[in-house]
Amino acid sequence: MTAGHLAPQPAPGPRRQESRLSQLAGRVPLYKAITVAYFATVFVLLLAPLAVVIGSSFSAPASEGVSMSYVQFPPERLTLKWYREIPAAHYHALALSFGLALCVALASCVVGVPAALGLVRGRFPGKALVGAILRAPLQIPHVVIGIAFLQLYHALGELSGSHLQGTLFGLFLGHLFLATPFVIGSVGAVLQRFNPRLEEAAFMLGASRWRTLRRVTLPVLMPGIFSGGLYAFIVSFTDVPVALFLAASGRATFPVELFYSMEQDFNPSALASATLVTFFALILLVVTQRIIGVDQLLRSGSK
Amino acid sequence: MNPRWGYWLIGPFLLGFTLLAGSQFMFLKASFFADLGFGKTSATLDFSNYVRVATEPYFLRTLWLTTYISAIVAAVCIVVGFPIAHVLARLRSRWTTVLLSAIVLTSFVTIVIQIFGLIIIFRGDGPVNRMLLAAGIVEQPFPLIGSVGGVVVGLVYSAFGFAVMLMYSVARTIPVSLDEAAAIHGATRLRIFARIILPLSLPGLIVGFLTVFNLCMGAFTSAALLGGGRILTLPVLIQRTMLLDVKYGMAGALAAVLLVSVIALNLASVVILKRFRAARMVVS
Repeated sequence: MTAGHLAPQPAPGPRRQESRLSQLAGRVPLYKAITVAYFATVFVLLLAPLAVVIGSSFSAPASEGVSMSYVQFPPERLTLKWYREIPAAHYHALALSFGLALCVALASCVVGVPAALGLVRGRFPGKALVGAILRAPLQIPHVVIGIAFLQLYHALGELSGSHLQGTLFGLFLGHLFLATPFVIGSVGAVLQRFNPRLEEAAFMLGASRWRTLRRVTLPVLMPGIFSGGLYAFIVSFTDVPVALFLAASGRATFPVELFYSMEQDFNPSALASATLVTFFALILLVVTQRIIGVDQLLRSGSK
Repeated sequence: MNPRWGYWLIGPFLLGFTLLAGSQFMFLKASFFADLGFGKTSATLDFSNYVRVATEPYFLRTLWLTTYISAIVAAVCIVVGFPIAHVLARLRSRWTTVLLSAIVLTSFVTIVIQIFGLIIIFRGDGPVNRMLLAAGIVEQPFPLIGSVGGVVVGLVYSAFGFAVMLMYSVARTIPVSLDEAAAIHGATRLRIFARIILPLSLPGLIVGFLTVFNLCMGAFTSAALLGGGRILTLPVLIQRTMLLDVKYGMAGALAAVLLVSVIALNLASVVILKRFRAARMVVS
């Protein structure tokens, strides 16, 4: 780029510039080599656990044993044995987790989108406080959320005889509490960049307020809603501590089921179901990339 | 055209406030009643649980251990992750998306699965330990489960992706034109990094450190699985006190201590960021 600019200059200039350029050029490969080596190391380390789980899920046992120490990695013989032996409990837990996460994602959008609209556009005293209260769940450690909701459900049970502890609805409320701030955050971020002229124009051209909202505002907010909903889904789908407190022992979510399987009786079929979930996450990621792009996801996710 | 946007908040606010106030009030209330065993609590209100947390060395040691582990993990995540975040923010190639996706993938998959992998990797006769033994770095196989080192490794894995994403969003706010200007004036890459990138990223790094530190203070899953019942951090202790010992009062008091320390740190990071903003050290 610079070489073209430098060409017509008088003789002494380019020579000095060139030498500096060539110095730079001499340094770039070293810098590049170090960067590439560093990236390779960190990403190999980062992805190694997932790769090992996937690899060992296809690995035939060296001897008949089901404890973790019998998992053969790297695999010597390949088998689908562990996939055939995935217990029904894992499929149930997976279906439960998926359904729950989907409900949480939808509900947190239903709650979070109007909240973000109100927080960004409303003008009323005490708005900062309302915003702080709505964002508060982000500040609370998940274990504390779990214990607090369990206590709340106990108290409600004593007051009215309704039992929320151990029910799906109780768990859903806990996850909704956890996930809504993500939707508020990402939709709010998009709203702040939103040009209100668009809405004014639609309104001037005769669209009703509702029609403006439906045909102009919501489509523009879509990337924010999508990434907020995705965050909500992931929060619910990967959560252990809250579900540990709120889920019934027989009907645990998938991560909790895996958590117990590791604490108690480990069976390599857990690796097989974990692999299925990893591939599901990969598909989710590809879909996300197609729809809004990973970069957009990160941009709206940061507060 | 002036729709009353404030009204949109009524529903969400009522729901959020009820859940927040109800749940937080209930566990805080429980923390003021002493435990009598079997899930029963005494009828009189007192501070005995808090007195025990503040005086018994066991609880103080737990608090110290949690702080210590969280500080190490946050430092590792920031130091290792910052170059990654910085280069990714500057990289203009197909690889950017692939690498970012890899980081996002690790946060899409529950940490329990990654810990499965870590346990297999660090098994006594596993590849890593055999290598470490052969190289003479360790005398005995490095035990991942039940050691402080293991908990640190687990927490780094649970927080690293988040840390990189956080720093990536900070790194993107530093204009490339600053690097280019310095490069044209003959600064080396190292010098650009030390004199431009690092000072401008410093506020983000400090806030990132505090955020990751906070995350680790409250991190449960990897600490529980890799602590193996021997290394108990505060969140693990809270869960055990609540679900295994069924001491609601004590668990409430411990949870309150965790909550207060986490919120205090968050406020501190907000104040620090404000100071930097006031000193115009944050771009944009």
